[in-house]
Amino acid sequence: MRAALARLAADSPVPIFVLAGQGAAGRVDGLRLDPRLRLVDSPRAASLLLVAGRLPRSWLRPALRIHAQMPHPRVTVWWPLGYAPRSLERRFAGVVRVAAQEDVAAVLVRLQQALLRRERASEPDLLPDVDPAPWRGVGPYGQGGKGMTGGVPFGRPLATRAADRDGLELDFLPIRVGPFFPPLPVGLVLELRSQGDLLQEARVVEPAPGRPLPGDVDPVFLRALAEPVPLAALERARARHHLRWLAGMLRFHGLHALAGRALALAEAALVGAAAVRALGRLLERTLALGWATRGVGIVPPEQLRGQPLGPVARAAGLAEDARSVDPAYRALGFTPVTHREGDAHARWRQRLAEAAQALELAERAGDRLLAGGEGVVEAPRGRLTAGGATASPLLELLPALLAGQEWGDAMATVVSLDLPPVEPVQGASGVAA
Amino acid sequence: MSPVTRAVLGVVGLGGSLAVLIYLAAVLDRVIGHRVAQQPLRWSAALALPAREAARLVLQQRSRTERSDAEAWALAPALLAAAAAASVAVIPFGPAAAVADVDAGLALYVAAIALVMVAVFLHGWSPNSVYPLIGAYRFVAVTLSFQVPLALVLLATALPAESLSVSAIVQAQDGLWNVVRQPLGLPIFLATGLGAAFWGPLALPDADDLAGGTRAEVSGVPLLLWRAAQLAVLVSIAAMSAAAFLGGWRGPWLPGVVWLGLKTLAVLVVLLLAGHLLARVRQESFVVFGWVVLIPLALVDVFLSGILLL
Repeated sequence: MRAALARLAADSPVPIFVLAGQGAAGRVDGLRLDPRLRLVDSPRAASLLLVAGRLPRSWLRPALRIHAQMPHPRVTVWWPLGYAPRSLERRFAGVVRVAAQEDVAAVLVRLQQALLRRERASEPDLLPDVDPAPWRGVGPYGQGGKGMTGGVPFGRPLATRAADRDGLELDFLPIRVGPFFPPLPVGLVLELRSQGDLLQEARVVEPAPGRPLPGDVDPVFLRALAEPVPLAALERARARHHLRWLAGMLRFHGLHALAGRALALAEAALVGAAAVRALGRLLERTLALGWATRGVGIVPPEQLRGQPLGPVARAAGLAEDARSVDPAYRALGFTPVTHREGDAHARWRQRLAEAAQALELAERAGDRLLAGGEGVVEAPRGRLTAGGATASPLLELLPALLAGQEWGDAMATVVSLDLPPVEPVQGASGVAA
Repeated sequence: MSPVTRAVLGVVGLGGSLAVLIYLAAVLDRVIGHRVAQQPLRWSAALALPAREAARLVLQQRSRTERSDAEAWALAPALLAAAAAASVAVIPFGPAAAVADVDAGLALYVAAIALVMVAVFLHGWSPNSVYPLIGAYRFVAVTLSFQVPLALVLLATALPAESLSVSAIVQAQDGLWNVVRQPLGLPIFLATGLGAAFWGPLALPDADDLAGGTRAEVSGVPLLLWRAAQLAVLVSIAAMSAAAFLGGWRGPWLPGVVWLGLKTLAVLVVLLLAGHLLARVRQESFVVFGWVVLIPLALVDVFLSGILLL
């Protein structure tokens, strides 16, 4: 019976939970299009844990906790992508390493089959199965805050009372999300206080204030800081970035099939602007996507003026774009696209319009027209300047933006801002790429 | 036939047909998803896919969480499946032929669908974990906004039949289906039915912004049961749409049970397509929409149906 089930299950798509480290985001998106794999949003639903790229040392502990939540049979796979941290292999005993020339999907399929046929033992727990903190509080179950609610039994904060927006005393629950919560950029850790599913307060724990966040920008934009590069290459990279982001946003709103379509456009080598515009028309017609995003996470233009925030600023009506002063772009008659509302709805339409515009520019520019090399470049997340690294101004706006929103709207706001992953890329310099 | 034989046949028939429809719904969902994504999927692969995934889940360990309410957690999928099965039992597949052809079938149906809320809340509350709990809160917050219009539009179909029996409602559609007689009924029933099955745009308790919501902590067999039970609710909504609005088993040439099956599958396709094309609604705007638009429209539906009978 078991053997028959294992044979039947052997060809099912492999459910993997991905910890996308440094330099992995784009490669991981490629895996989503592979029918042999399924990327899941909870470690409980996964059989394989895929660690991609470099995991900074401070993420190892959260990664091990993710591992502890995975059901047996399970195995951890490390896809180094050129990085070689020894600490990972030390902490994840028995991790399977994907060699540089190997097809990672084939490795994952093979491992799932070996697990199902019991040719390979399931990975044991790597963390001790104990309570994370001793009992505290006065009650028999460790409770003991105000009115016998609250307290921190086993290191788990319990709900306690606080005034809500209507002036009632209601329970609130402290929640910490990140660094691997799927809707958020990898590495972002938020501390939230919720009443029901209403967020009363939000605080950014990681990154620490003022930390530079150049993010995982396509290398062509970094090259364009120093030397002229083909304009078509810049614009294709921009379209790819926006379409990948769009796919993530569609997944967040529950539209997985349409996300697959956006991602296929992003990964296709030569995609025309017409295909992107067709997808845009379909999304505009899907009225519910408007319902889901209209009026959510409004950032007023006054908070964005003069900041290098690219599409976020342009979605609020600011026509600020470093391309406007580049002679190559001016030769093509470039004018920035803008939207006025400054909400999540305007932001996805802004990025979609910019992706289509970028592909049109690339088609018209051909192979010979060069752009950049002046120390300033308009990257997909905003203006990059050589040597001018500061923290993303959006992170400072985040607490005020999220407080008072429902959980779904708050997460939709974070998704719509396209925050960069938290770990900086070596050798990059710039702002909020 | 003795009553015992009838009961056994009824339960086996109900379970069997529900299982077949759940499986077909799972296959159709994948086929429609691949069509929308414009990615190829062979029918043979699509037919095998749900079985393969089910087999994998059977071989997976069931997860446990710290200080969970284990009994309630185990009960939740069973309760959801039982509610779906009880609701399907009142739907007739021939003249006066339903597993439970009770006089107040419509009331039983609405009561069973109302139990979905209890099952979802238990499922979110019992693992003692944050995301499932928020999913559970959410579902309770929006439940009334779709349950009330769902019950109202079903009630309107009882008026021309002058009976709460679903068999009588199908009989009363001789010549004119309720989808024509009460044009507001079916659209409202389908929109609210998505809420009852927490599917697609109304997948608020099991949403992607909560890493899966009430099922975020579930793995293995309980996850398989939960998904199957959710599809059972969706099938129940489709079957009731067919019975209450599309003439049920009525149709020429083919046997009644085939007609009911075909109509149920057609409605299922519409529901599944909505799941792939409509984004998840915002909770607060949906509650406003429910009370300001859906409930008044459902009341208009009831009044118009009553006036037409005078």
